[in-house]
Amino acid sequence: MKGIYYVLLLYAFLMLPPVASLMESVMIIHMHMQMTLFVIIGFLLAPVLQKKFPRFFEEWNPNGIPGILLFVIVIFYWTLPRSMDEALNFWYIELFKFISLPFLAGVPLRDSWRKISPSLKNGLIILFTLLFILMGWLYIWSPNQLCNNYLMIDQITLGWGFLLTAVCMIIYLAYSYITDFAKTV
Amino acid sequence: MVNKKLLSYLLVAVFGFVLFYFGTDGFTAYTSEAARVNQLKEDQPLFPEVTLEDHAERVYPFSEFEGKYVFITFFYTMCGTVCPELEKNMKEVYEMLPDDGLEDDIQFLSISFDPERDTPEVLDTYREWLESDGETWRMARIPDQQELDELLDRFGVTVIPDEYGNFAHNSAFYLVDPEGRLVEVMDYQETREAAVTVMDRMEGGGGK
Repeated sequence: MKGIYYVLLLYAFLMLPPVASLMESVMIIHMHMQMTLFVIIGFLLAPVLQKKFPRFFEEWNPNGIPGILLFVIVIFYWTLPRSMDEALNFWYIELFKFISLPFLAGVPLRDSWRKISPSLKNGLIILFTLLFILMGWLYIWSPNQLCNNYLMIDQITLGWGFLLTAVCMIIYLAYSYITDFAKTV
Repeated sequence: MVNKKLLSYLLVAVFGFVLFYFGTDGFTAYTSEAARVNQLKEDQPLFPEVTLEDHAERVYPFSEFEGKYVFITFFYTMCGTVCPELEKNMKEVYEMLPDDGLEDDIQFLSISFDPERDTPEVLDTYREWLESDGETWRMARIPDQQELDELLDRFGVTVIPDEYGNFAHNSAFYLVDPEGRLVEVMDYQETREAAVTVMDRMEGGGGK
C-alpha cells in the first residue's frame, strides 16, 4: 500500500498551477494525457477507498451499473469542447475537473469493472469507440473553431488522437473476439 | 438494499442531468463560442469610446456613427482563411439591404485587430478588392492597442496570435444599435438570415 503515496504525490504534482497550465497549453495533451492521468489516479486510489468504506461501495454500487453510468456521464461531459474551454477560463471548473475525473470517473470505474458482465464491458468499449470516432470526426472536419482557447491545428491534432484511440479499441475488440472464438473451437 | 440500488441510479441520473444542464446552459450551448454569443445578447454591452482610423486616413471617434445602426466584423488583412469568407459574406449582406437604408440608417464597418500591419493604405487595397464604396462601408483600424483590447474584450472576440504571424480568432457579424449598444451577434455563414435580422431591426424603429 506504500505505492499509494506515489499516487498522491503524482496527483498533487499534476495539480500544481505551472504543471497544469503547461499541460493545458496543448489541446491534445490536455485531453488525452492530463485528463487520462487523473482518471488513472482515481483508478489507483480506488483500492484504498474500497478498503476504508467497503459498505459504501457494496450498498451503492452492488452490481456495478450505477458506477459505470457515473463514469460514462463524467467522461462524456469532459469530451464536450465547451468543458475544456471553461476549465481554462474559470478556476472552479478547473477544480471540478481535478476532483471529478479521479473520484467520479476513476474510482467508480475500478469498483464497477469487476462487477459487470463481460458483454457489458464489450458494450462499453464499443460505446466509447463510437464516441471517439464521432469526436474525431467532429474535431477534424468541423469547419469552425470549437474551442476559443486553442488554434485550429491543435483541434485537428486532437481529432486524429481520438481516431487513433478508436482504432486501438477496435483492434482490441477484434482481438478479443478472435481469441474467444479460438477458445470455443 | 433494493431501495439503495434504485436510489443510486436516481442520484447518478440526477447528477448527470444537472451537470449537463448547467454545463451547456440548459442544453443550448455546447461550445464556449455559443455560450459567448448567448451571454452577449443578454448583456448588450456598450461599444466603448474608441478612436478609429479608416482606409482614407480619416480619424474619428466611434460616436461618429451615433444615430445609425452599425454592422461590424473583426478581421485582419493578412488572414488567408476565415476573414476573406467573412468579408465576402458581409458584402452579400450589404447587397441584400435596400439602398436608402444603406444611405441613412446603417453603417458597415470592418475593424482590423492588427493595427500594426493594417495601415490605411493596406486597408484601402482591401476595400478595393471588396469593391466597397468607402463611405457606407468602411475599413478601419484602432491605432491605440489599449482601446482595441478593451473593445475586443467587451465584445468577446478572442484573438490568439500563432507562431507564423497569423491570428486564430472567432468570427461573427455584430450589430450595434443607434445608441451604441450591441444588440445582435449573428452567424456569419447565414447571410440571408443576417440580412433579415438587420432589416427587422431597422424597421422596428430606432434607426431614424
